[in-house]
Amino acid sequence: MIRRVNATAVRINAQLRRDHRFLGLSLAVPLILIFLLKYVFDSMPGIVRFGINFSDYALLIAAYLVHFLAYVLSTIVLVRDRITGTLSRMFVSGYRRREIVLGYVAGYATIASAQTALVLVSTNYLFDINIWRDIVAIVLTMLALALVSVGLGVFLSNFARNEGQVFPLIPLVIIPTALLSGMAIPIDNLPEVLQWVSNLVPLTWAVKVLKGVTVEDVSFFHVMGPFITLVAYGLVLLFLASLTLRESE
Amino acid sequence: MNMNSIENAIEVQGLGKSFGPIRALDGVSMSAPRGQVFGLVGPNGSGKSTLIKTICGLLGPDSGSVKVMGLDAMRERYAIRRRLGYMPQTVSLYDDLSPWENLRFFGRAFGTSDLKERIQRSLEFVQLWDRRDDPLHTFSGGMRQRSSLACALLHEPELLVLDEPTAGVDPTLRHTFWSHFRELCDRGGTIFLSTNQMDEAMHCDRVAVIRDGRILVTEAPEQIRSLGRASIEITLDDGRRTFEVANYESELPQLLSAWGLESRVRSIEVKRQSLEDVILGMIGQEQK
Repeated sequence: MIRRVNATAVRINAQLRRDHRFLGLSLAVPLILIFLLKYVFDSMPGIVRFGINFSDYALLIAAYLVHFLAYVLSTIVLVRDRITGTLSRMFVSGYRRREIVLGYVAGYATIASAQTALVLVSTNYLFDINIWRDIVAIVLTMLALALVSVGLGVFLSNFARNEGQVFPLIPLVIIPTALLSGMAIPIDNLPEVLQWVSNLVPLTWAVKVLKGVTVEDVSFFHVMGPFITLVAYGLVLLFLASLTLRESE
Repeated sequence: MNMNSIENAIEVQGLGKSFGPIRALDGVSMSAPRGQVFGLVGPNGSGKSTLIKTICGLLGPDSGSVKVMGLDAMRERYAIRRRLGYMPQTVSLYDDLSPWENLRFFGRAFGTSDLKERIQRSLEFVQLWDRRDDPLHTFSGGMRQRSSLACALLHEPELLVLDEPTAGVDPTLRHTFWSHFRELCDRGGTIFLSTNQMDEAMHCDRVAVIRDGRILVTEAPEQIRSLGRASIEITLDDGRRTFEVANYESELPQLLSAWGLESRVRSIEVKRQSLEDVILGMIGQEQK
């Protein structure tokens, strides 16, 4: 099993290395968006009067970007594998569903880590946040979020038969995530039903950890509950993804 | 496991498969003996790929059974896949990777210790060793097909299942492919392939003609050809006569005696329908 997971991860990384444009865009887009965020925040200094500190949001938005990019990427790539028949060929060659799913996680962990590192460094540099004090908690949370994103992408790719059908699935995840995760609107301000629904949004648990260690200044240990929930969420999604990954149409 | 399962690489009984209202396979029964080239011949949309995917355990049947080397194609698919090589209808390799990288990736699933040697043997077999490091997107269609064949051969399987391996391939390469298939068969392998090129049936040891998800006939090519009509042209002392018969071997003597022609015959010329025409005739009749 480990051999096949590793083979999948090595293959994905070889493909990423070959596709310079894709690699460049995957790393440049989060950076561009962080710079854009900085520019927008700096252009509205007056809003600080209302008690809003943009720096509190910067890291959350960075996490949202990593989640969004890893989710979209894994969904599209798996659907493409299905369309081109490489997924069927993998199955006939002897790859099992769980090996493929874990291989994708391991393969995309590389690019997700690179994206995370860039986003964190740029956020630290541009905004008034010191990420180094809580770097372990932040990095682990980001990586757990990437795990959730790949699991979610693989799971939802089962519902798309072509790349075009992926696009309606993107807002289905991304918009509720932006609204309900506590990233932009505090969860306590949401109606009771939506507060319950927010528990189903994976980013909610990452936001709880990141807000805890940066804004609320508590230790990683104090937010271990949401962190474990996030990891468990990722594992459940990976389990679901490997159960539902179709061997054929 | 009965004796037939051991003798036959593939055994299909009453196989049915529908996609919504479309009946892709309708009670298909056939068997492919070991050590032979078995051709599944039929037009596009006749159910060839569905049958092949069922054999490879990529599709579950609605009814009936599929046994591959005596094993159930769905329940025991993982055991079968170690002994089976599959070449899909589309190339189904990673375009941005080289043949070497593609074969290494798919080959690592089998866990052989001599993977490098096997990759080399497979690529040399399809004459792509010199291009092993070039990305697939720089290859012609034929070279991509050859890469795909090399990938199916990698673990030296007992059974090769090839879905339209010669589709879109030029005549020279088609000839090369058929030489490869015969060579693999001579080494003891079994090849099950589909084609919509009716003339390719003559290269097979045994042929099943499929149309609208039903097998019309399963026979050796010569047997299928004998089902066709023949035109007999008899030159007599006083001219020529032409007859159309269904089976010239049995009907010719009857014809000569019935017409009282024997004593006046100068020559007899028999023009048999080609295998391609016989198959096309079968498919055409079925369509009507």
